[in-house]
Amino acid sequence: MAILNLLLEHRDVPGITNIDVWEAHGGYEGLKRAAAMERQAIVDEVKASGLRGRGGAGFPTWIKWNGLPKNYDQPHYVLCNADEGEPGTFKDREMLLKLPHAIVEGIIIAGLATYSKVGYIYIRGEYTEPAWQVRKAIDQAYQRGYLGKNILGTGHDFDLYIHMGAGSYECGEESALMSSLMGERGNPRLKFPHAPLPTVAGVWQAPTLINNVETYCAARWVLANSAEKYASYGTERSKGTKIMSVSGHIARPGNYEVEMGTPLMELLHQAGGVINGRLKAVIPGGSSVQIKTAEDCEKINLDYESCGANGTLLGSGGFMVFNDLTDIVQLMKRTAEFYMHESCGKCTPCREGTRWMFKVMDRIASGAGQQGDIELLLSIASQVDGRSYCGLGDAACWPIVGAIKAFRSEFEYWIEHKCSPVGSRFFPPQVEAVNPILALSAR
Amino acid sequence: MTSTSYNALTDTFIPKPIAEPQQADRFSDAAIAELEEIVTHYPERKAACLPALWIAQREYGGSLTPGAIREVADRLGLSYTEVEGVASFYTMYNLKPRGRHHVEVCTCLTCALLGAYDIVHRYEHELGVTMGGTTEDGEFTLSEAECLNYCGGATVIQVGDKYFTGVTPENCLSLIEELRKSQQFTPALLADSIVKIQTPGASTSGGGSFAAQDLI
Ligand SMILES: Cc1cc2nc3c(=O)[nH]c(=O)nc-3n(C[C@H](O)[C@H](O)[C@H](O)COP(=O)(O)O)c2cc1C
Ligand code: SF4
Ligand code: FES
Repeated sequence: MAILNLLLEHRDVPGITNIDVWEAHGGYEGLKRAAAMERQAIVDEVKASGLRGRGGAGFPTWIKWNGLPKNYDQPHYVLCNADEGEPGTFKDREMLLKLPHAIVEGIIIAGLATYSKVGYIYIRGEYTEPAWQVRKAIDQAYQRGYLGKNILGTGHDFDLYIHMGAGSYECGEESALMSSLMGERGNPRLKFPHAPLPTVAGVWQAPTLINNVETYCAARWVLANSAEKYASYGTERSKGTKIMSVSGHIARPGNYEVEMGTPLMELLHQAGGVINGRLKAVIPGGSSVQIKTAEDCEKINLDYESCGANGTLLGSGGFMVFNDLTDIVQLMKRTAEFYMHESCGKCTPCREGTRWMFKVMDRIASGAGQQGDIELLLSIASQVDGRSYCGLGDAACWPIVGAIKAFRSEFEYWIEHKCSPVGSRFFPPQVEAVNPILALSAR
Repeated sequence: MTSTSYNALTDTFIPKPIAEPQQADRFSDAAIAELEEIVTHYPERKAACLPALWIAQREYGGSLTPGAIREVADRLGLSYTEVEGVASFYTMYNLKPRGRHHVEVCTCLTCALLGAYDIVHRYEHELGVTMGGTTEDGEFTLSEAECLNYCGGATVIQVGDKYFTGVTPENCLSLIEELRKSQQFTPALLADSIVKIQTPGASTSGGGSFAAQDLI
């Protein structure tokens, strides 16, 4: 088990963003195969592949695809979540940029399977360059008749539009994304079991399918090749591959597609190993998941079950590597700042809790920590986790609680000695700026 | 912007009518055509609020003035406050005027590890502004961005519709030098690019290539 390029196989082919080159490499084969199948057979194929959502939660994809009403009585919508915002993750960016046709094809297949006539790709506003590639891909697909009226003679119509976001991490959350698509503030909406699932009443109260970019690409691969082949990779319950975005103190950062179940250390090795020091910690799945010490890393395999068993998550695959000069307390302070900034403010536990966690983290990391601050942090976290309206509140707590668990001694060192245990200056203190000139000279 | 008065009888806050910014509409005919095209993508007009704000941000020279928000509201049949509420939620809509180059330095986890704050301090020193500030000559606005999701190329800086990757404290000043030479107005350029991306057929009718150049 190691590097296995299924989805990223053609990423380095010159001109692969052009539809001719893409078709020469087996592009739109998945769509042609799907068009010749019964709708239910497409869903069954995805079911047989064992594919699970790659947006973070790992929810079985076929259940969503199967959940939409199987008729044309009312409009259905297919949404692609390309609002990648999780710190440490950049796989969707690379796929949008280099393999836009794979995504477009995957979405059309989903449209066929779910009786939908309209699809939207929600791309974050900063991703103009990747979005241009998607624009070109969609225009070319229209010219070839893969989009528009009566696709490949199936009698099925499908239109695909791009909707650009405008800078908000929270809009990656599925119900917030739908609010944003409807032209509202990016606040999440009430969720199951208090409200119907999106597959029953989603965007504009119509049945809606929402998946991540990588999920659509994988579904396309399944249709283009076969479900058995996809299911033959990976572990018992986590099938296929996962794209990991490796960054941090690593020799060769970048996206690596690994077979599910690959040992974490193997990926580290493939990416060239740690630089400027020895391995201290790894965050395997983006900033929202728990940090793991070097010893724990030896035990972890990259699949949903193994990560879960070791008290972390595979998440979105934002794999961040830290060497022994990294100050975990300052790292967590910056993480807390991120969630404070991105909290949408709709519910009180998260809006207030993320602020308090940042304040306490800031106090510790600037040398003003007090005895009992660690307990205070844990207490705030316990009041936010599981009590907030959407997943962002939970995600704000997990990294901090995880870091206290794994590196409690460093927090204690900061509180006691008012300085960093590793003497690192990666996050210089923020000077309160009154007069810019004075503030600068004070530094 | 908005002010309210309290009605104790009904226990509600009543918004006072906002002094409507009296200003002539500034959407060009081409912009109106773009907006009407985009409106057809959705089952209701309101959904075009985000794209309409992007068009407004371009047409009004890179920021959303009260007049711009009112024009969007009028064109979509929404209330002023509704549109203002949307515009203030998203960080990429500029409610304040920006400099000719809006330099956003990613200071999130990976970038911070690899020296983003040192870059920020160098820029603050070079430009004489603090985070979020605009230089007196209106050339640069410097701000901090959350993860730009290109962490493999840390440190990442966004200027308009371009990403600059692999910036280090040593080479970061050359980016400022390059930008000083450039005549573009990056906030409006970014809005223009985003509007075009949402217009079907834009890739065949020009639109141009928007490769993020690694200047450095
Ligand atoms: C705060 C928050 C942010 C999220 N951001 C993203 C994101 O940027 N991209 C994404 O695909 N999913 C994101 N998700 C997960 C989505 O809500 C949703 O689970 C996912 O799009 C479902 O697709 P999947 O089944 O293909 O995984 C986020 C969730 C939360 C709670
Ligand atoms: S948990 Fe946070 S982001 Fe989610 S609804 Fe509440 S305030 Fe908004
Ligand atoms: S941390 Fe800077 S791009 Fe992700």
